Amino acid sequence: MESVIRVEKLCKSYEQITAVKNVDISIRPGEVFGLLGANGAGKSSTMECILGTKKQDSGTVSILGMNPQKGRKKLFEQVGVQFQEANYQDKIRVEELCELTASLYKSPLDYVKLLSQFGLSDKRKSQVSELSGGQKQRLFIALALIPNPKVVFLDELTTGLDARARRDVWKSLSDLKEKGLTILLTSHFMDEVEALCDKIMILKKGESIFCGTVQEAIAASPYEKFEDAYLWFTDEEERENESISDAS
Amino acid sequence: MRAFRTLLKTECKLSLRGMDMFIFAICLPVVLIIILGMVFGNKAAYDGAAYSFLDQSFGAVTTIAICAGGIMGLPLVISDYRNRKILKRFQVTPISPVLILAVQLVIYALYSICSLVLVYTVGAVFFGYHLQGSWLHFLAAYLLVMVSMFSIGLLVGGIAPNTKIAGVAASLLYFPMLIFSGATLPYEIMPATLQKVADILPLTQGIKLLKAAYLGLPMNGVIAPVMVMIVLAVICSSISIRFFRWE
Repeated sequence: MESVIRVEKLCKSYEQITAVKNVDISIRPGEVFGLLGANGAGKSSTMECILGTKKQDSGTVSILGMNPQKGRKKLFEQVGVQFQEANYQDKIRVEELCELTASLYKSPLDYVKLLSQFGLSDKRKSQVSELSGGQKQRLFIALALIPNPKVVFLDELTTGLDARARRDVWKSLSDLKEKGLTILLTSHFMDEVEALCDKIMILKKGESIFCGTVQEAIAASPYEKFEDAYLWFTDEEERENESISDAS
Repeated sequence: MRAFRTLLKTECKLSLRGMDMFIFAICLPVVLIIILGMVFGNKAAYDGAAYSFLDQSFGAVTTIAICAGGIMGLPLVISDYRNRKILKRFQVTPISPVLILAVQLVIYALYSICSLVLVYTVGAVFFGYHLQGSWLHFLAAYLLVMVSMFSIGLLVGGIAPNTKIAGVAASLLYFPMLIFSGATLPYEIMPATLQKVADILPLTQGIKLLKAAYLGLPMNGVIAPVMVMIVLAVICSSISIRFFRWE
């Protein structure tokens, strides 16, 4: 089956700094793909180039067979996006934000149902800024689902949440996965990645240093736990530097 | 169209919830016209003038809302929405972020029109004000002033790197214009030197234009203000379109 998201030789740099270098990604329908890496490793830049909110220097991107910049109007009828930063108007209420979001699409889902599905029915009249961290994140997933998308992009979905709230969010995502939604997410939490992702890519200084399943990542490292394996992949250079400074 | 309507409805609610525009664009001009009416009544604008002081000030007062919306409201909302990445969020929907900016322009235009209607009604009902010149000329001039003031706001909001700088720039433009262009403090009572300085402000020119239109003064004196307004609108909008940043 053809890829839902296909990225080939993606490069992006800001002035002198290389943010993304020769990244290839291919995500099949129904797959949950995790983009990992330290802060500044190029996760957000990669995601933004894929979405077309940033223009890549070279390389090609297609989502559902469309170019995200040229086919923006048509493509984003079928794609839900949740950015890392909370981007909503000051003083806006939950219901208003949902209604507004729904009005942007030709055939949106019923947001009242989505809110109840995410346990937010009693918060409809509340201001978004008054919700707790977990409630906000659940609201943002619900918003990303309003277009009834085939693909969703979730950037650092659970950063800043407590353990309980994170589990709730995972549960929501697992349900979506079962329904066959294709998901591209970025995360800093390895337990989350292990629980949700079919495939991962680890980025370091804009380059892919690993791409495959979580099991493959563990197998390729000298460790048994994924978090150790991840750190082993990302820390290599620092370890070398440390041993050099120890020696001197 | 559905998106536009929903956005307009929501953004109107949010703007009213913020209260600032309600105070500065709706209440302030009405209060001012009442004060001017009570203080000067129907006194002639100057000895032997064919129109009263209130007549003379009407146009100036109607620009307060344009100034508040265009110079203060617009830059702040644009830079705030950019800063909060709301414009960016619209880039990943089927709707262009241009729509939300268009909605803001409509909202500030609505505030201005509401204010104009209110100021006129208060003037007419309580102080017997009536427009001497042509409504058509007046509304055309009003529209031109609105377009040029809003273009300044688009420029400031479009290129200010962050909300703070947008706020400072907006204040630096707004307060001198509000006070010295004749919008609040009547231009006619300013000393001649101050009038010369005030003439530099684009709104002063706009108010002169309005005044000529509603007092029915000869139109030969308005070429300069009209040109100033048009040139300003063209320059500001081109620069803001050229250098606009979505994030």
